[in-house]
Amino acid sequence: MVLFLHECKLNRKSLLVWALCVGVLCFACLLLYDSLADSMGDVSEMFSDMGAFSAALGMDKVNIGTLEGYYAVEIAIMLSLGGGLFAAMTGSALVAKEEEGHTSEFLNTMPLSRTGILLAKYAAMALLIFLFELITLFCVLAGFSCMGEMPHMANLLRYHGAAFLMQLEIGSICFLLSAICRKKPTGAALGLTIFFYMLDLLLRVVPALEFAKYITPFYFANAADIFSENAANIPLLGTGAGDCATFLAAALLLYGRRDIAG
Amino acid sequence: MSEKAIEIYGLTKSYGKKRGVRDISLVVEKGDVFGFLGPNGAGKSTTIRCLLGMLHFEAGEISILGRRTGEAQREILRNIGYMPSEVMFYPSMTAEKVIKLAADLRGMDCGTEAARLCDRLLVDGKKRISELSLGNRKKVSIVCAMQHKPALLILDEPTSGLDPLMQEAFFELLMEANHAGATCFLSSHVLTEVRQYCKHAAVIRDGSLVRVDTVESLSKSTLRKVKLSGVSGAPALSGIEEVRKEQGGVSFSYSGDMQKLLTAILALSPKDVLIEEPSLEEMFMQFYEKGEEKNGVVSA
Repeated sequence: MVLFLHECKLNRKSLLVWALCVGVLCFACLLLYDSLADSMGDVSEMFSDMGAFSAALGMDKVNIGTLEGYYAVEIAIMLSLGGGLFAAMTGSALVAKEEEGHTSEFLNTMPLSRTGILLAKYAAMALLIFLFELITLFCVLAGFSCMGEMPHMANLLRYHGAAFLMQLEIGSICFLLSAICRKKPTGAALGLTIFFYMLDLLLRVVPALEFAKYITPFYFANAADIFSENAANIPLLGTGAGDCATFLAAALLLYGRRDIAG
Repeated sequence: MSEKAIEIYGLTKSYGKKRGVRDISLVVEKGDVFGFLGPNGAGKSTTIRCLLGMLHFEAGEISILGRRTGEAQREILRNIGYMPSEVMFYPSMTAEKVIKLAADLRGMDCGTEAARLCDRLLVDGKKRISELSLGNRKKVSIVCAMQHKPALLILDEPTSGLDPLMQEAFFELLMEANHAGATCFLSSHVLTEVRQYCKHAAVIRDGSLVRVDTVESLSKSTLRKVKLSGVSGAPALSGIEEVRKEQGGVSFSYSGDMQKLLTAILALSPKDVLIEEPSLEEMFMQFYEKGEEKNGVVSA
């Protein structure tokens, strides 16, 4: 519990900066909708019929001429990508920073098991991601409220719930990388997140890549899918949760077996 | 209850093709102040990290305070205070928060002892770690290592970076802890420290133990430094090395039978003779250069 709280405290500034930047950006973009609304009506029909481009962004499923559709297509991209990058940054730093910053000799000589250290850090990551999602959700709700039009609340919560799991999965992969690296694998973590995002765009356009929906967590956290189908993809969410558990187990196994540098 | 604080048998650890330590065996009794001497890269820190469970080793067995490492690691670490050679903490935290964090991670309230140690070492608790020099970080590390009154203190080059006054204060604290029953395992380059404070010492070179003995015995040897005045050369005797011609005489080191040396010196009829024991530093260099491979368990 001490280590869990310690990690939460060390990361609180980073959480606030990321969550407020993304949240305020989303809030501002929602407020911009009014000035775009007139032209949105004209272009929404055109956008919905642009083949691969529309499919990639989900504009063939929801109408961006409505505030909810605009949120599901435009705002959710910023939320998902911003959240994914935050999770990648956080997960990739949590364990490797100890060896990179030469604090591993302080931490690993305390009466804590390596499993205990990793579980405390993972729990801190999960809480930070949850708080990120909560802050951005609050900003989004504030934006809708200012616009005087609330979205389908169940769908909004479904999307943010799926986005939380998506970020947790990206965080878990990066946490595993962090557990086996001596220096923070920030570049690899950010690259992996962008790759997953691009893979999600591509698999919606290229039928041969459909199998990739089991690889990229951005697929099950797609707001356009959730708002158009009024449901989240439960089987893929289950797979995502399983992936998180698998990556955590791999991190525990590998970290327990490896040498810790000073 | 075991009377041994540290037991190492046949410890071998390598880093791929790079050498680590090879077949290290030594025993440190409870209540001892044990010096661990060796040059950079000799394997001191590797041995210590194996003791602390940070490194997995290929062969050997380590027991600390009667418990085998790996089996009861948390319990072992609960009774150890460790000070690394390259001290670093979380840069954004203040010194007092780091000290509190160390106590909290141990699940102990060490406020009174921490305050006493900070007072003795003049630790400025309000400063951030990023603002502290190496010496000041070392002082914070000493408090973290000692505040929970551990049964075993493992200190890796503890005085590097400390000014002479703080070194004195540190050794006072160390001796107080030792008199209160703590065992101290002290890795150091500074031979005067080892001679002054340690009861036993081990010398490690190229990953192998060269010698383990009392500091008193380590300082004693058949090796003698000899200076002769009024002669042009050293006597022709086996055991004579490092012959140097000096103004008006010659100096050399000799290891062997003293009667033979005296007879050989008398035959040269020198004006003056100076025979002295080598310093611990010179002994230390001798161990490094020649190396006496030891086999089996070496008990201090």
